Amino acid sequence: MTMSQAKSNWSWSWLRRLEALLVIVLVMELLIFSRTGTNFATRENMFETIKLSVEIGLLALVMTPVILTGGIDLSVGSLLALCAVGFGKFWRDAGLSWPLAAALTLGLGSLGGGLNALLITRLRLPPLIVTLGTFSLFRGLAEAITQGVDNFTGFPEDFLAFGQGYYGGVIPAQVPIFLVVAVMVWLLVHRTTFGRSFRAIGFSPEGARYAGLPVPQRMAIAYLLSGVATALAAMIYVARVGQAKADAGAGYELLAITAVVLGGTSIFGGVGTVTGTLLGVAALAVLKNGLQLSDQPSELAGILTGGLLLLALAGEAAMKKISARRGRLATLGASRGQSG
Amino acid sequence: MPVPLLKLDSVAKSFGAVQALKGVSFDLQRGEVHALLGENGAGKSTLIKIITGAHRPDTGTIEIDGRPVPHLTPATAHRLGIACIYQQPALFPHLTVAENIGLRLERVAPFSRINWPARRHRAELLLRRIGAGISHDAEVHALSMPEQQLVEIACALGAGAPIVIMDEPTSSLTQKEQHLLFNVVRELRANQIGVVYISHRMEEIFALADRVTVLRDGESVGTRWVRPPGADGATGNSPAPVTESELIKLMVGREISHLYPPPEGPPGNTVLSLRNVGCALSGVRNVSLEVRAGEIVGLAGLVGAGRTELARVLFGLTPADTGEIRINGRIVNIRSPQEAIACGIAYVPEDRRRHGVILDLPIAHNISMAVHRRIFPGSWLRLGAERRLASDYIRDLGVKAWGPEAPGNSLSGGNQQKVSLARWLATEPKLLILDEPTQGVDVGAKSEIHKIIRRLAAKGLAVLMISSDLTEVVGMSDRIAVMRAGAIISMLPGGSDAHTVMASALGQKEGVPA
Amino acid sequence: MSNSAVVIKRHFRELSVAAVFGVLLLVLAVIAPGFFSRQQLLTTLTAAAPVLIAACGMTLVIVCRQIDISIGSQFALCSMIAGLLAKAGLPMPVVALGAIASGGAMGAFNGALVAGLGLPSIVVTLATMVTWREALRWSREGEFVKDLPDHFQWFGLGQGGGQGVILIGAMLVFGVLVLAMKHLSAGRYVYAVGADRESARLAGIRPGAVTFVVFVIIGGLVGLAALLNAIRFADVDPKTGTGLELQAIAAAVIGGVAISGGRGNLWGVLAGVLLLASIAPALVFLQMPPQWEKAIQGAIILLAVAVDGWRTRKEANIG
Repeated sequence: MTMSQAKSNWSWSWLRRLEALLVIVLVMELLIFSRTGTNFATRENMFETIKLSVEIGLLALVMTPVILTGGIDLSVGSLLALCAVGFGKFWRDAGLSWPLAAALTLGLGSLGGGLNALLITRLRLPPLIVTLGTFSLFRGLAEAITQGVDNFTGFPEDFLAFGQGYYGGVIPAQVPIFLVVAVMVWLLVHRTTFGRSFRAIGFSPEGARYAGLPVPQRMAIAYLLSGVATALAAMIYVARVGQAKADAGAGYELLAITAVVLGGTSIFGGVGTVTGTLLGVAALAVLKNGLQLSDQPSELAGILTGGLLLLALAGEAAMKKISARRGRLATLGASRGQSG
Repeated sequence: MPVPLLKLDSVAKSFGAVQALKGVSFDLQRGEVHALLGENGAGKSTLIKIITGAHRPDTGTIEIDGRPVPHLTPATAHRLGIACIYQQPALFPHLTVAENIGLRLERVAPFSRINWPARRHRAELLLRRIGAGISHDAEVHALSMPEQQLVEIACALGAGAPIVIMDEPTSSLTQKEQHLLFNVVRELRANQIGVVYISHRMEEIFALADRVTVLRDGESVGTRWVRPPGADGATGNSPAPVTESELIKLMVGREISHLYPPPEGPPGNTVLSLRNVGCALSGVRNVSLEVRAGEIVGLAGLVGAGRTELARVLFGLTPADTGEIRINGRIVNIRSPQEAIACGIAYVPEDRRRHGVILDLPIAHNISMAVHRRIFPGSWLRLGAERRLASDYIRDLGVKAWGPEAPGNSLSGGNQQKVSLARWLATEPKLLILDEPTQGVDVGAKSEIHKIIRRLAAKGLAVLMISSDLTEVVGMSDRIAVMRAGAIISMLPGGSDAHTVMASALGQKEGVPA
Repeated sequence: MSNSAVVIKRHFRELSVAAVFGVLLLVLAVIAPGFFSRQQLLTTLTAAAPVLIAACGMTLVIVCRQIDISIGSQFALCSMIAGLLAKAGLPMPVVALGAIASGGAMGAFNGALVAGLGLPSIVVTLATMVTWREALRWSREGEFVKDLPDHFQWFGLGQGGGQGVILIGAMLVFGVLVLAMKHLSAGRYVYAVGADRESARLAGIRPGAVTFVVFVIIGGLVGLAALLNAIRFADVDPKTGTGLELQAIAAAVIGGVAISGGRGNLWGVLAGVLLLASIAPALVFLQMPPQWEKAIQGAIILLAVAVDGWRTRKEANIG
């Protein structure tokens, strides 16, 4: 194979990447729903859709580095509930001002993420099971704190504005926050050495270690970040719905993971982009909104999501096979036996 | 001469540009132990893979029991009774020895009841035949590596395979376990099984083998009798048994005039100084060594001598627990790769594909991976600077790729090695540790890498080069440290002949004791 | 080491869970003996029986180095199907078969994708979990299946008889699986494939076939569990089965099944199921707020896996 052939094969596979397909899916959704949905293609609706997808979007954004390292975090939905309830408790029962309560809640989120980080990076426990445990633990703590019934309400107007207010009457207040976080996470993953480390660790933890990368520290950062962002999402959630209950965020972790995998991030780690995740979040949000406005049952969204996810997986598997075949052709002779 | 059990005729195999075997002929008789001797890279592994069906030869024929076998696959090989015992046993760690043997040997329908007593009994019998003191009830993960190998041998014995291949079976066995193994091999021979026995170790070959074939650079350079058949009644002529020095000569060949670049001046200050360094976990014992700026110290020894282990100690992967390490006179305590890099130590690892390069990542990302702090201040990526760095090294080292964005798995072995090297050169180290720098690399790239290494030394780098390629060690090194069983047993001057080095590595003391 | 010492060391994990469970029982016996009333025990056990069956299936899956997070949705669907079949007038044996078969079919779908296409099981079962759950919600719109024939609840045998059938059914399944995993060739293949796929292939096992069958089995078992659970009530709740995958995985992990595959046995899982099932009623009897159940569950999972991790590190350093 000549040099230029190798290069064109590589860029070909990039073109075929899931992201391009996802953009097509998104465009198709937009086209179809603007036909079938009432008031779909309006500015208000677009902003509403974005507004409702901010919380899952935040979770999906920080889930991306976690999955890039080859890990997973099933506890984000439960941590959201714990932080929501915690925020309520700090504000109502401890009588703190809401900014101070917010700061403490961010601390609570990082404690949660820190627990995951400690167990996963220090004790080297499998992320799936650790976060399954904390999934239970965090939700349980939220339920215990509220005795299952307590509902924090009556938050001050200036706090609720973050979830219910609009800038200039048009842009929902949480959108700029989301954009800022999105840009920060994008920069982290694509423009800093941390992002590089995440990928290296995802592809080969041993290889990363031999290259001198501080593997446990970098992995810990991913999980810590997940905790902090979850706390932020929790507060936006509370601001939006005006209340904090222990059942907040149920199922959010799965939606976040779905968005990330849909966006082209491989569950095995190493491969993935933040743009892909954002596209995944968008595709899911538009799907839900469009079906609603087209008078279709909301369950259809779930069913189609499942189907999309399977297609995304099958696509990724097919592309891996193709690039492996090309890689093998190019590296004949690289393997060497034990005693040579 | 009776029909050989196994016969290979002019078998050749290439992998891309590397020609691993160049027309090797080999035969194995029933009831014979035929040893296969050769250095790393001589082609032994490839030959074995062809016999077990893992690779198809490009040319040449294979005959089993006189019948040609045109398409040998692992399944066919298994069926025809070719069993191979590798250094890395393929056992199930959390199952018992009896079950491991059972799973391998039994050919039963999936919905049949397992006869545990029979399994245990058979395992016990086999283990006893080998003389291994292992309980059939032990879980494999609790066994040591040598014990696991014995289980593998029990499987081969149990399979009744007529052809048994053993790939460096004693590399990690104790004396006692080695004797056990020799008895097993003798038992196999007594049962008319043909054994292909790969080894570096002269004492084993002379203890066990009937014949020995020496491979060098992918060719068979001679088959000799170790235990010639008894004198022919009629002619009274039996071939003379081979001697050790004959074998060494065959293995090493004449001083081949590969033009190795010569040193360019006297060495400078001592960069690395090791005094009584040891690491219990990895088996390094009491190593003392010095490497000066501008010099290449070759680290020779057999597989398992502890050379890579020493490198890992110096690089902080398995920190030293005794002794003193100094870099440029300053005592350092290296407990992680990051600390090693901070001290100016760089390690180009042996396993290129798993540790040297992350194949899914582009060349540029691989090259910059160890120098993030320097070229990306404040942790922000500067893609332009990275691309320039990568392009510079691609040019300097002659990496053949379509660009710095090419992924590692699009490169040939030699080019991957250059990328691995580039990564560590970018750290601007004081000490460069190279572990098998030209293993699996084609001749052209080998020569380029050698020139690069000499150039680096000339620039003031201290180079510690681990190599199992004797001509490379002898040709490149200014001094040679020979390791055996985790310690340095002798220091030889540069320009020593390969025979001396090999003899020393085998434990026959020559040169200055370290 | 003496024989009994070896046995204890090897089964340390399962024994320690049993010990923890034993301690809990002891505490309850002292403080809240009402827990051991016949009625309460039966209630606890019949509620735990379907979870045990599901956990046994999950054990097979995890030992095979896969995971199935769709069993909650499978459970709900199979319950629905059982209810609808009964409502259609079919006799209970047919209803049972229908539930098991539909579970097996869903398992086969998962298995085909994982074993056939080589897709990662966590995402495949995530996708099927969502799809089936939403499909069910769509068709039922939250409505219970009501007006079931009399022979549905408790198989028409009354509460005592029905509970007996459930318990016996669970014990039978458990017993069969314990035997199969130990004494059937196919059962050992699951361990081999989970430990090392390539070595298994070299030993002549077909990893793809084994993986596929494992998913079918968990599907069928979940169908059976759904049936045995549904007959406890007079109507079928479409929201049944939520959180089942968590309980099953938790029971398995607590019981010593390693998520990395290749090891673990059902006795530990039994102890795990019983332990988890006792938390809720224990909280009631100890007069602690019941909302602590999830937190305690989570803490136990973390503790169990931390102990496992510590032991593995210890083994690795010595070995």
